[in-house]
Amino acid sequence: MSDFIPVKFCNGCGYPVILMLLNKILKEMDLSAKTVLGLDIGCALLAWNFLPVNTFQTHHGRVTPTMLGFKRARPNSISIGCTGDGGAYAIGMQGLAHAIKRDEPITVIVVNNTVYGMTGGQVAPTSLHGQKTETSPEGNDDYPVLGPEFFKPLAHQEAFLARTAANDPKQMMEYLKKAIETQQAGHFSLVEILSFCPTHWKTKGAETINYLNNLKEVFKPGVI
Amino acid sequence: MILKVLLAGDGGQGVQTMADLICRTAFAKNLEVTHIPNYGLEQRGGASLSFIQISDDKIGYPKFSQADLLVILSNQGRERSLQYQIDSTKIIDVKELKNEIEDKKINLQNLNIFFLVLIVKIFEEKNIFTAADLYVQAEEKLSKKSNWSEIREIIKINIK
Amino acid sequence: MSNDNKKFVTGGDMAVKAAIDAGAQMMYGYPITPATEIFTGWVKNKQKFLQTEDEVSAGFAVCGGVLAGQKVFTATSGPGHVLMQDGFIMAEGMRLPFVLFAAQRGGPSSGTVIYSQQEVMLACYGGNGEGMRLVYSPSGPEELYSLTRRAFNEAWQYRFPAVVLTDGYTLKTKSIVDFSFIKEIDNFPAYPLVSEEKVIHWPNIYTSEEELNRELVSAKTDFDKVTPLVVTSEIVQTDDAEILLIAHGIVAVAAKDALAQMRRRGQKIGLFRPVTLRPFDKIALDKAVGNKNVKKVIIVESSYGQLARLVKDDLDTTLGKPFEYIQYPALGIEVDEMITQIKK
Repeated sequence: MSDFIPVKFCNGCGYPVILMLLNKILKEMDLSAKTVLGLDIGCALLAWNFLPVNTFQTHHGRVTPTMLGFKRARPNSISIGCTGDGGAYAIGMQGLAHAIKRDEPITVIVVNNTVYGMTGGQVAPTSLHGQKTETSPEGNDDYPVLGPEFFKPLAHQEAFLARTAANDPKQMMEYLKKAIETQQAGHFSLVEILSFCPTHWKTKGAETINYLNNLKEVFKPGVI
Repeated sequence: MILKVLLAGDGGQGVQTMADLICRTAFAKNLEVTHIPNYGLEQRGGASLSFIQISDDKIGYPKFSQADLLVILSNQGRERSLQYQIDSTKIIDVKELKNEIEDKKINLQNLNIFFLVLIVKIFEEKNIFTAADLYVQAEEKLSKKSNWSEIREIIKINIK
Repeated sequence: MSNDNKKFVTGGDMAVKAAIDAGAQMMYGYPITPATEIFTGWVKNKQKFLQTEDEVSAGFAVCGGVLAGQKVFTATSGPGHVLMQDGFIMAEGMRLPFVLFAAQRGGPSSGTVIYSQQEVMLACYGGNGEGMRLVYSPSGPEELYSLTRRAFNEAWQYRFPAVVLTDGYTLKTKSIVDFSFIKEIDNFPAYPLVSEEKVIHWPNIYTSEEELNRELVSAKTDFDKVTPLVVTSEIVQTDDAEILLIAHGIVAVAAKDALAQMRRRGQKIGLFRPVTLRPFDKIALDKAVGNKNVKKVIIVESSYGQLARLVKDDLDTTLGKPFEYIQYPALGIEVDEMITQIKK
């Protein structure tokens, strides 16, 4: 990236590291020019001018159908959708389910911080049981959805569904690479990335990293 | 009397706290007051603007195009508040006060209180309310904060 | 924070209080700026709620609750308001007392999270077919409260879905409200539309054109009967006005300030303010515009003409007064700015 773009993500957010590693992989694979990055309207939207890659915002929960539309119109593109856990597993769940069912050859990156960040910290489909948020003040009485695991039965054998974390850069790069290769082979790929959110976790410094590592007990990293 | 006050700084500098204290104090003095913050996409780090109107009579529309008093706490605040300045706007700008802030050893955390005191000096001249009035509200709202003793000192020095 | 009966509160606080005072029992919500505070305010007041997976589900859950006789509501904005039409049209088709807070933000698409008056058409006519709906446009926090009380009452009494159309500025502005303005009014009780006592079979799709046509005629007839009972507007100094302003919601608040200032300088300005957008006070509109002193009419709004369309639709076309438009799509219109534009 040649020009300095002032970052609008909160201090300590996982998005910058995720986006930079995605960029690194695209560069290594020499796919930057062919790549199109679609963004959900949530914290993901702040990445709209972040990478040296064609990027556009879509609507909240609608990244998946938008990117499959783009890919069907331009099959030799690398069509990537980036969304949060709300955009993927709440309002976007239906679109995602059907893209997986049809094995659409796109890549969906789900940045999972277990909370609705941009609207101020409400409960999300991946909020933990007991997690306190603005709309679960007594503690979430629901249980989190494990996205990749949930969608596995719908997915084609050659599709790639995996989970990693913002503090596992090596694994993240490996999975992002595999996801893109899966797209190139004509199949669906999804990488869920557990991400830092000190703003809404109300954590500082090392607490944030511990919080993320604890999430791995529930959201197990690995290939699903 | 109606006074249009615009506070402009960065998110995290305590601009909304300043606005809240001004409004509480005005309310306690039986004045009419309205406050509307700006709000955007970022949860952190964007500009934080507060539009405050204080009056003897009921206030209608909360926003205004020309500030009577503009308080600038950061560069971003300055940029975002340019459009609200006219020739008669009284401006309190952090860049003019760098020396005073250093001399008085004002902690960054308490910068907003330092500015609040400057604002109240102007309010005293205009018979809106005094530092003593502000102190009552500050104590109610902020006495449990870790930096309360510093806040208290900054305000108390200015009570006549 | 209080002083006698006065409190320093946001518009959002007033909306929540009104829903509670109206006897609302449940809220379905989905976070979207700037309507989220109505949801979180309701939650903070320890009321029953559910955050659904999206606005479509929130809308249909409200329909379900209403069918069971629950006083239930939801709140949304912008793209969420678009999705909410899906559930709202079912309420139109089946005459369900669905109460919706629609907080206008910039559009189209995700626009801004801040403010506009660009959801007037959506709030009034966002469905398919000509559904009959009640739409209220409050000016200021006190009216946001009272119109919300009316929305719940009139929706249940007359069986039409209702929209309280507000905006980000109104919801976010904190001001001093003297709560003694609140008049004790009765709440029209909710009642089950489907009950165990009686078996009903209730479609919203019909097999022939004639069947649907009969339903539509019936709904329109009822709406026309209810109109004189609910239609509301306000006029300010229109008797001798030479320039008539037309504005609604928070823009009308600024218009009143502008009017007062211009009147002090001897200019004869008046204001017609629709309070219900549906039904629109056609009679009062024609009277205000038709006044012999009126030399021109200026419609002021934070949109590219959505209020203007409502006015043109209802206005007696024989009146022949010249119209001008002050249109600031998705932008606030400050009092000084409005005065400058009126003078032009």
